[in-house]
Amino acid sequence: MSISKEEVRRVSMLARLEIDENEIDSLTEHFSSILEYFNALQELDLEGIDPFVMEGVEGTPWRDDVTLQWNERSSVLSESPCSDGDFFKVPRILGEEG
Amino acid sequence: MKTDFSPVIGLEIHVQLNTLSKLFCPCSTDYIGTVPNTNVCPVCLGLPGTLPVLNGKVVESAVRTALAIHCRINDATRFHRKNYFYPDLPKAYQISQYDLPVGEEGYIDINTEDGSSKRIGIIRLHLEEDAGKLVHAAADGRLAGATSSYVDYNRAGVPLAEIVSAPDLSSPAEAKEYVSRLRQLVRYLGVSDGDMEKGSMRVDANISVKCSDGRWGNRTEIKNMNSLRAMERGLAYEIERQSGILEKGGTIVQETRHWNDAQGITLSSRSKEEAHDYRYFPEPDLPPLFLPDGYVEKMASTLPEMPWIRESRFIRDYSLPEKDVAVITENPDLADLFEECVSGGASPERTSNWIRTEVLRVIHERKIPVSEFPLSSSVLAELIALIDSGKVSNTAAKEVFECILQTGVTIDEALVRCEVQAGGISGSRLENIIREILQNNVPVVQTIRAGEDKKGKKGKFLMGLVMRETRGQADPREVREMLSELLGQ
Amino acid sequence: MKIMSYHNMSAASVARKIRSGEFSVSDIVRACLECIGNMDGTLNALITREDQKALQRAAFLEKAIASGEDPGPLAGVPVIVKDNMCTRDIRTTCASRILADWRPPYNSTVVEALENAGAVILGKSNMDEFAMGSSTEHSAFGPCRNPWDTERVPGGSSGGSAAAVAAGYVPLALGSDTGGSIRQPASLCGIYGLKPTYGLISRYGLIAFASSLDQIGPFTRNVEDLALALNVLAKPDHRDSTCSRKARPDYLEALETGSLSGKKVGLVKEFRNYRLPPEISASVDRILKILQEAGAIIEEVSLPVTMTSGLGAYYIIAPAEASSNLARYDGVRYGLSAEADDLLSLYLKTRKAGFGSEVKRRILTGTYVLSSGYYDAYYLTAQKVRQIITREFAEAFSRVDTLIMPTSPSPAFRIGELVDDPIQMYMMDVFTLPVNLAGLPGLSLNGGYSAEGLPLGVQMVGPKWGELEILSMAHVIERELGPAPIAPGGVTDEN
Repeated sequence: MSISKEEVRRVSMLARLEIDENEIDSLTEHFSSILEYFNALQELDLEGIDPFVMEGVEGTPWRDDVTLQWNERSSVLSESPCSDGDFFKVPRILGEEG
Repeated sequence: MKTDFSPVIGLEIHVQLNTLSKLFCPCSTDYIGTVPNTNVCPVCLGLPGTLPVLNGKVVESAVRTALAIHCRINDATRFHRKNYFYPDLPKAYQISQYDLPVGEEGYIDINTEDGSSKRIGIIRLHLEEDAGKLVHAAADGRLAGATSSYVDYNRAGVPLAEIVSAPDLSSPAEAKEYVSRLRQLVRYLGVSDGDMEKGSMRVDANISVKCSDGRWGNRTEIKNMNSLRAMERGLAYEIERQSGILEKGGTIVQETRHWNDAQGITLSSRSKEEAHDYRYFPEPDLPPLFLPDGYVEKMASTLPEMPWIRESRFIRDYSLPEKDVAVITENPDLADLFEECVSGGASPERTSNWIRTEVLRVIHERKIPVSEFPLSSSVLAELIALIDSGKVSNTAAKEVFECILQTGVTIDEALVRCEVQAGGISGSRLENIIREILQNNVPVVQTIRAGEDKKGKKGKFLMGLVMRETRGQADPREVREMLSELLGQ
Repeated sequence: MKIMSYHNMSAASVARKIRSGEFSVSDIVRACLECIGNMDGTLNALITREDQKALQRAAFLEKAIASGEDPGPLAGVPVIVKDNMCTRDIRTTCASRILADWRPPYNSTVVEALENAGAVILGKSNMDEFAMGSSTEHSAFGPCRNPWDTERVPGGSSGGSAAAVAAGYVPLALGSDTGGSIRQPASLCGIYGLKPTYGLISRYGLIAFASSLDQIGPFTRNVEDLALALNVLAKPDHRDSTCSRKARPDYLEALETGSLSGKKVGLVKEFRNYRLPPEISASVDRILKILQEAGAIIEEVSLPVTMTSGLGAYYIIAPAEASSNLARYDGVRYGLSAEADDLLSLYLKTRKAGFGSEVKRRILTGTYVLSSGYYDAYYLTAQKVRQIITREFAEAFSRVDTLIMPTSPSPAFRIGELVDDPIQMYMMDVFTLPVNLAGLPGLSLNGGYSAEGLPLGVQMVGPKWGELEILSMAHVIERELGPAPIAPGGVTDEN
């Protein structure tokens, strides 16, 4: 089973990863190979198996509702590639989502 | 033949929970009016290597809310990642819940326009983290045409409870009722301000229209309705828009639309051809959320009297009209004040009036919450009781009220300052006042004594003077008797 | 002239000698820095060296010791930390262009633990970008070389840390292991590498690759140091919700093991289905013999689904989680940021310039298997297979105390040999990645040498929380074979 170049392009947009035309071929090939391993999994008997078992698992711990002020936000802003005073700044947003 | 169109509306309401710290980190949730990017830390900024840790108080608020809307609580739930790219989402995914929310299959009963009760189903209540805030650098602050945008992550990570209703609402008015109920509820529970203008309660609607000829239009999602009024108008507009299209035989495009309050219309968002692919998968950084044995029962025991129960009780026990009760019980603190006054000896009816007029007036004027109302319930009760027993007139009591508000003195001191006699002005005090008035109005007195006041106008005039002088604190009967006596009639 | 000869000392003995005053912290730190200076031009095991900071810290520790303070169990021990673990104000790059200049404003928990125990961090080690790889060739800072043969890879993704310990730079280095990234380099470099049970050591500050698989662990040249490192690092941490709150034992107890009578060791038979150099089987047999002589009973164990389907399940789950974990690198808040007129261009250009080809491959694979229409067939299926694998291991451990199989299907391969054949590269982890899927502890120890004289690692897997079990057996083996040697290309008395 293989994957089409269109699929690869769709996925790359979803991941915000631009790929060149010369990369598309090798990527499509790579995917087709790895998909063989993935598809082989379908042959196993997976009947009745709960993929996200909760039994015997240590539950997530809870924190007390106490506030803490982190004092180093200024270094994050000053180190940031895109900051403007107290804000992070991004260029024009065209469309619903960037 | 004209087709009838009946709206089918479901609402998704995001309630900001008022815990002190954020959902997954100890930053403060108090973001309104703060300097941007000050209530942030490596976790809510999503810095590489950081991990979420769940706030137990959020669990409490979520479970209590879910119980109050009659949900079945899931003892074991989990979090999911909702993946998408946008600058206000620091990790490029939002930690939310997907297949196992905190609560499911609940309901709220609302009053419909014809006075009957209607049950609105609630599909689920789940937890998720809020995103940061984007400010667009354009003249009108809107996205279109902005050359850049500014991001503030103070709000990122604030806990939200999302409540999804079934599509059981049939009109903008019902939607308004539903939202008002929920708003009242979260205030009663003390889990949120429920303030749409401030953003602590946000409403998105899914709306479609059914035609009487059997056709059912696609549904659209309406966002950006930032007040109850905007929501009513937005829904009304959308119903008309969809009905118009269907009447002409067209189809509704399934899409997201934004309500533009200024223009009074919904506008299609610039969406891509494909729907969002959020690639939900269970959050691997958070093991399952297990509610300990007995936890749900314990939370249930902390629930206050539900607003609808309180309303029925007020109507029944205090014999008050529904309209008035609705106002008093709108806010739980106000309802508490009412009950405290009544148990402090004030009459229910008069207390109801005073709460709805004087108390609410002060609260709105001073823009304070009920909890900051300057008079204690015992002082208010005492004052109202004085009117009840006839010792002080309503007018005089209002003066005393104002006096206490301005100066903060005790009732007794205020009575003195306002020259209000508890028990009214009578006996020798009244006599002195009347004598003084008679002395100052000799010609009128002479006319009366001469028997010339045929129509009693002069008598009424004197009566008016006395009442004005005593500021309503004298018993009119006693005044008339005394005047007669002193005039020698 | 060499400052001092330290390279044969274990971490434990360094700490002892510091405490007894045999030499000072500055002595050993300067000696290490000198060796590193001489050798790392060739090996390229380090991305960032922090000579100044290390010397300052040495001075600070000396003062503390002088004033009578207890410097901690790793007193003065020079260590190296993989460059995916956040070190406050010290560049932490994950060997990626996208974080090439990023300095974290906070420390990871493990770094805090090392420093509280008195260790001195000398630098950040080279790795495959974002921990994705098995050779430390996918690094924006150039490949790392194996001190056993500098034309060959040290393994990956923690190749830099493994090379540093094998070359004798330091007695202890930290790596991370998601599919074998500690054990496989340990095998290729002839040293000990331990991946603990998932949840034993805090991941706070470890820049995530695959959140449900990543674990931090130590590289050492002997078992005592592994135990010492675990004692320092294996603690509950309220900042990591996946870090177990169970009490941890004293791992040094593993050194008290005498005989292994009553113990059962399972040999995973399916490794023979892979065509391996005969020396690999021989190294496994050698280890089994030692265990047998110590009293253990050897049994054959079958893990059919694990050994055939582990790779497929892993290469769905790990890239899926990675695609989500790496989405935050968008040029807005930190790291590389491309020039762009609009937001979408910022995202696309930044990520294109910032990520290497293997990272891109995995992000795309991960995005694909999570996307609408494919989630059930791939991601969900893989998680179900993971359950089967977990059960197979659990079932095996109901009958045996530990499991043995080779660590890697190959000794160190040449630089450039597999880097353009991703799937062949993935195969290097075929024996290690199932252990991550099941969340179990595993260690690699040296079992012999290939015909070319390259180290061959043997892997020992334990049941959940079974670190004591595998450390005990490793210690028994060490008593027979001795600690791991320094690689021929490493530090000597002369250099």
